[in-house]
Amino acid sequence: MTPATARSLRRGGTTVIWAAGLIVALFWAFPFLWMVSTSFKPAAESLLGGLSLFSSHPTLEHYAAVFQRYPMIRWALNSFLVAGTATVLGVLSSALAGYALARMRFPGRTVLFALFIASLMVPIEVTVIPMLIGFIRVGWASTYQALILPSIAQVVGVYIFRQFFLSFPGELEDAARMDGASRWRTFWSIALPIARAPTIAATVILFNLNWNNFLWPLLVTFDETMKTMPVGVAAFAPTIGSHTQLEGYGNGMAAVTLLSLPSLFLFFFLQRYFMAGLQTGGIKG
Amino acid sequence: MSEHVLPVETPSHRLRLARPREKVDSIAYLFVAFFTVPFVLFNVLPVLFGLYLAFTNWSIVGTPTFVGFGNFVRAYKDRSLWQAFGNTIRYAIVIVPSVVVLAYAAALYVNQRWPLAGLARTLFFAPNVVAATVVGLVWVAVLDARTGPVNEVVALFGGGGIPWLTSTQWAWVGVSAASVWWDLGLAFVLFLAALQDVSSDLVDAARMDGARWMQRVWYVLLPATWNTIAMVIMLQLISTFRIFSQVYLMTAGGPAGSTMSVIQHVYNSAMVRNLMGYASAVSMLLFVCILAVAWVQSRLLGRRA
Repeated sequence: MTPATARSLRRGGTTVIWAAGLIVALFWAFPFLWMVSTSFKPAAESLLGGLSLFSSHPTLEHYAAVFQRYPMIRWALNSFLVAGTATVLGVLSSALAGYALARMRFPGRTVLFALFIASLMVPIEVTVIPMLIGFIRVGWASTYQALILPSIAQVVGVYIFRQFFLSFPGELEDAARMDGASRWRTFWSIALPIARAPTIAATVILFNLNWNNFLWPLLVTFDETMKTMPVGVAAFAPTIGSHTQLEGYGNGMAAVTLLSLPSLFLFFFLQRYFMAGLQTGGIKG
Repeated sequence: MSEHVLPVETPSHRLRLARPREKVDSIAYLFVAFFTVPFVLFNVLPVLFGLYLAFTNWSIVGTPTFVGFGNFVRAYKDRSLWQAFGNTIRYAIVIVPSVVVLAYAAALYVNQRWPLAGLARTLFFAPNVVAATVVGLVWVAVLDARTGPVNEVVALFGGGGIPWLTSTQWAWVGVSAASVWWDLGLAFVLFLAALQDVSSDLVDAARMDGARWMQRVWYVLLPATWNTIAMVIMLQLISTFRIFSQVYLMTAGGPAGSTMSVIQHVYNSAMVRNLMGYASAVSMLLFVCILAVAWVQSRLLGRRA
């Protein structure tokens, strides 16, 4: 075999690998395609089975049914309120803490950061039952406080900001302090505005964590009107809600399509920040 | 923010921090308070309270009494808990290697920067961003024995309808598949960042020396990204030990306890049987197991994570 044929053979092999990888990637998206496709298929058509992703009679009946059967709008509003508040508070408190840990000298700094990192080893599943008892005792079970407060402190946020402020040009703050600005004012007027990228990264990551949060809202919400969307929509799971073979998965797929929209929307438009933040943090809830 | 920073303390950071500043910034305590107060209240105190709970027979109503090691004796005698621990270990044995190997392969693929690599990156990562409820319900539909597309494909190859989520033989496989699909994205982006950090000079030098693609992966890329691999194995191991939402949504632990994980067992003890003390004790046992596994793993694979 001449070197030239060897090279062209290798190039052919490369093309095959390239194509195969793309096919695998498309397969990876198949469950999403099936989700959306089933949500628009008439129940009768879904029940016949088959692999088709396109319906000959696409319908919105499942989306209508979802809103009629369950308080979807209330759940969605609850989720936006809870995830939104927890995220704003979480990002601001992480930014302050990350800044102090990176830029300020104070006794206990190292211990505090070590404690934050060590807490990542503690599964939240260990904390939810004691917390549930606590919230019941103070009469806050099934309230917005119960849904929001435990979600504020997310160590991944502190990590993202600390990492950014470690390599932050000190001259800028020095100049501000020369002008007599306090540490507090320097943070809000100089440091935070410059920290645009980590702020966006922390916001999308914390918002998505909070939007998707499942175990704690599942435990702490006792009535339908206080459920968040992931907990409410779980009623479409055959093992949890009332589900019959005959009705198929149309309603459930319509509900989870709606539930996944904010996450996928954020992801597609801010993918760069999503990945950069996770790569800095290396951690998930 | 620089794009692909992994948690590394570079020496220059240490130097900068060690440089003496004028004085202690006491206002720093105000800065950290906004985070530390909720952190202590909702992350630290519950662990301590949970430790106490584990030694009581606490339930939602009635007065709790101290029962010593009663809950742990009960755990030892609880056949269903042993099954749940066994199942959880089985999940770890199947899910962790699958996620690590597939994610690494996907990262190697995307790292080639060929046409549409960006699309592949998006598709491999996307499942990681959606809620457990989405994953659980979509996979129940996809794996449905009668109408699901997976069995349609099985039928194309001449297989019979597999009762994916309703048989003790298959249900845990179905739950594991959904978990791999959901978890892969995080491992994938961490691997991708590590691979992009490998100096291209190193790879080029290997290519000059005539190393084939497999050899470059084996002798250059794998060793250069070993720290990240060890970290991802650790993260995935911890996350699989905590497996709950997808189990709860897909099978609720059935049939016959064949998919029951430890946390699903904790959930049932607390929310169905109202045994808060016992549930807390079992969650502490799982925590100890996680610490033990993390310790062993850091010994075996080298530190970091």
